[in-house]
Amino acid sequence: MPLPGKHRVPPEVSPSPVSGRSRLRPALGGGNRSGTGEPARSAAPAGELWLAIHLPNYILESLCQPAAAACEAAAGDAAGRVVVVDPGRGGKVVCACGVTATAAGVAPGMALNSALALLPDARVLARDSRRERTLLETVAVLALDFTPRVNLDPPDGVLLEVRGSLRLFGGVRQLCARVGERLRARGLAPRIALTPTRLAALWFARSDMEVVLRRPEALAGRLAALPLACTRWPERSLRSLATMGVRAVGDCLRLPRDGFTRRFEPQMRLDLDRALGHAPDPRAAFVPGERFVARRDLEPELADTARLQRVCEPLLDELCTFLQARGASVESLELRLLHRDAPPTRLRLRFAEQVTAAARIAAVLRERLARAELPEPVRSVRLRSGPLSEARVQAGDLFALDRRRASAVPQLVERLRARLGEEAVHGVSLAPDHRPESAWCRWSDPSDSNKEECPPFFTGILRPLWLLAEPQLLDGEERPHYQGALELEEGPERIESGWWDGRDVRRDYYVARTPAGVRVWIFRERRAPGGWFLHGVFG
Amino acid sequence: MSVDDLLRHPGLWRAREQGGAALRPGLPTGFALLDRCLPGAGWPLQGLVEILADRNGIGELSLLMPVLARLCGEHEDGWLAWISPPHQPYAPALAACGIDLRRVLVIRGQAAEWAMEQALRSGACSAVLGWAACRDRQSLRRLQLAAEQSRCLAVLFRRLRDGSEPSPAVLRIALDGSRDGLEVRILKSRGGRAASVRLGWASFATRAIAH
Repeated sequence: MPLPGKHRVPPEVSPSPVSGRSRLRPALGGGNRSGTGEPARSAAPAGELWLAIHLPNYILESLCQPAAAACEAAAGDAAGRVVVVDPGRGGKVVCACGVTATAAGVAPGMALNSALALLPDARVLARDSRRERTLLETVAVLALDFTPRVNLDPPDGVLLEVRGSLRLFGGVRQLCARVGERLRARGLAPRIALTPTRLAALWFARSDMEVVLRRPEALAGRLAALPLACTRWPERSLRSLATMGVRAVGDCLRLPRDGFTRRFEPQMRLDLDRALGHAPDPRAAFVPGERFVARRDLEPELADTARLQRVCEPLLDELCTFLQARGASVESLELRLLHRDAPPTRLRLRFAEQVTAAARIAAVLRERLARAELPEPVRSVRLRSGPLSEARVQAGDLFALDRRRASAVPQLVERLRARLGEEAVHGVSLAPDHRPESAWCRWSDPSDSNKEECPPFFTGILRPLWLLAEPQLLDGEERPHYQGALELEEGPERIESGWWDGRDVRRDYYVARTPAGVRVWIFRERRAPGGWFLHGVFG
Repeated sequence: MSVDDLLRHPGLWRAREQGGAALRPGLPTGFALLDRCLPGAGWPLQGLVEILADRNGIGELSLLMPVLARLCGEHEDGWLAWISPPHQPYAPALAACGIDLRRVLVIRGQAAEWAMEQALRSGACSAVLGWAACRDRQSLRRLQLAAEQSRCLAVLFRRLRDGSEPSPAVLRIALDGSRDGLEVRILKSRGGRAASVRLGWASFATRAIAH
């Protein structure tokens, strides 16, 4: 029902100054334009564009997350046979059902017993409102990739203001396609509509009409055909409207504004104004949570770590999207593998520095999973991030090679540690002590580049390149033997120290050579019972 | 057909030339006698170096100390990875040889070949020293490939008896200790030829004496 051309005035250019009753403007569009839909005032901020995501199958989707590709066929079949009941309402009525169940004739609203009669091997699940909320928040986090302004519309809608993102994503159609693609990749079946107002976009999406509408003045015309069910007004009001022959939004807009306001709830009147952009529609912005938590239920259960890795990789992608949206990074992650009976297996992934890249996390996870011992097959995977910290963005460098090396060390260390264990990788440094075994120490954090370099403690003294972990007792009383009789070359160097900490040493050190030419560092113990010991090899 | 024409044939290549391209210079070993015997006048940077020795302590590490110290120089920022060393590399002695301890990484554990490959592929290291048996040819081949792609000195220490088996390494050196020096036998040198050098103890100027 478009306005005659000469009267079409774009609201953002010149908002109609007429306030209050639309009947004061009889001349504009003829009799049928003087209804509820007539602008009171253009209240929508000029130029907003709202993209609505509606999840028609959210109950099902919140319970059956897509499983790994490996077991997709089996999981898909299992998901198809799902029948969901609402425990809050007695748990006897089906409120959602999978594809196979629908094909068998099961429909929402049906008694559970009838559903089981139609599909005896149905998987009956209980609705979980927490999971539904989580699903919605997951979608909102994905949406944060496209715009900073995101609203939730529980239980099944997410709204994105995308005017500012159009150019980046190459226009409206491209943007809608990309949003849809992202959601479908997560195993969701979204309906997406884009209009200048929030409510209109939601209504279109709920009515299964994936419209893209940029001009506010076209709203009234396009909304007119929508059935009133999409407004989610109270059932009673909808019924009484239906008895009056008002079944579509357009019929509603034609009703006299006064009468409509008087007879029905004021909220309904407000909704119409908001949908048309005549009334402001303020909503709380979506603020993402401070930690990333995600879970996947595995169907069937998995015992193979390589497959687990494939299940976890989409979770890591989600995590990285989550981090990216906040400009954050993590240093540790916890992966909990839940079993049927055994206590959950906890895998802690620690990184040598803050990480944001999924590929890097996946590389560490692979080594960690390969080392993990699973008491039982895994039925559910939970990923939880450690505390978030602000991501440090590495500035580019003209001479990139140098940086590449420096940044590769922490990655190497964490990969090695994931497989070999925390203790397996260490560095060395000097320690101010005369005792050979205390003159050095290990350090474990390679990313800490500001390590103090302790100045060499001894000067002009010979030290071997290899030190034995424990001094090794040698044969021979007066002349020590090691791979033959040893020939003393230098010495003795007396080391007496450590009486204060219980590791007292009193030794005479010599440099000696074996018949085969091996130079060794040996000492004669001066405390009882004495004897010769090998302590180092010169290498 | 002249010899020159023949040499231009793509199917023919001379041992002195590596894949037709000129040999890249290596890192000076710090021993003039040894440099003269190596095709790149030093340790090769493209490919695996195998050092075969039956005993620790005959000078196998001292042979590498000059080059490791050079790799810790001012314009280098790579790390020195020690993978499954037979004993603990002793920090005071390393420091005395001029090695920057802040860049030494010691890695222990069972999977030495794997760790060595990771270190080579990471691009973080300027030298990777590994002590691994490398029983199968597959793992040696993997190490050689990783070493070729990395730009670092890759040294694998093995036993003398492994010298009789073929290996893809670009340089294989057998070490024999004696009372008066170190006998270095070059068993295989891509682009070079077999040779034998005796390095007297006097040439090991870098005895681990602290400053």
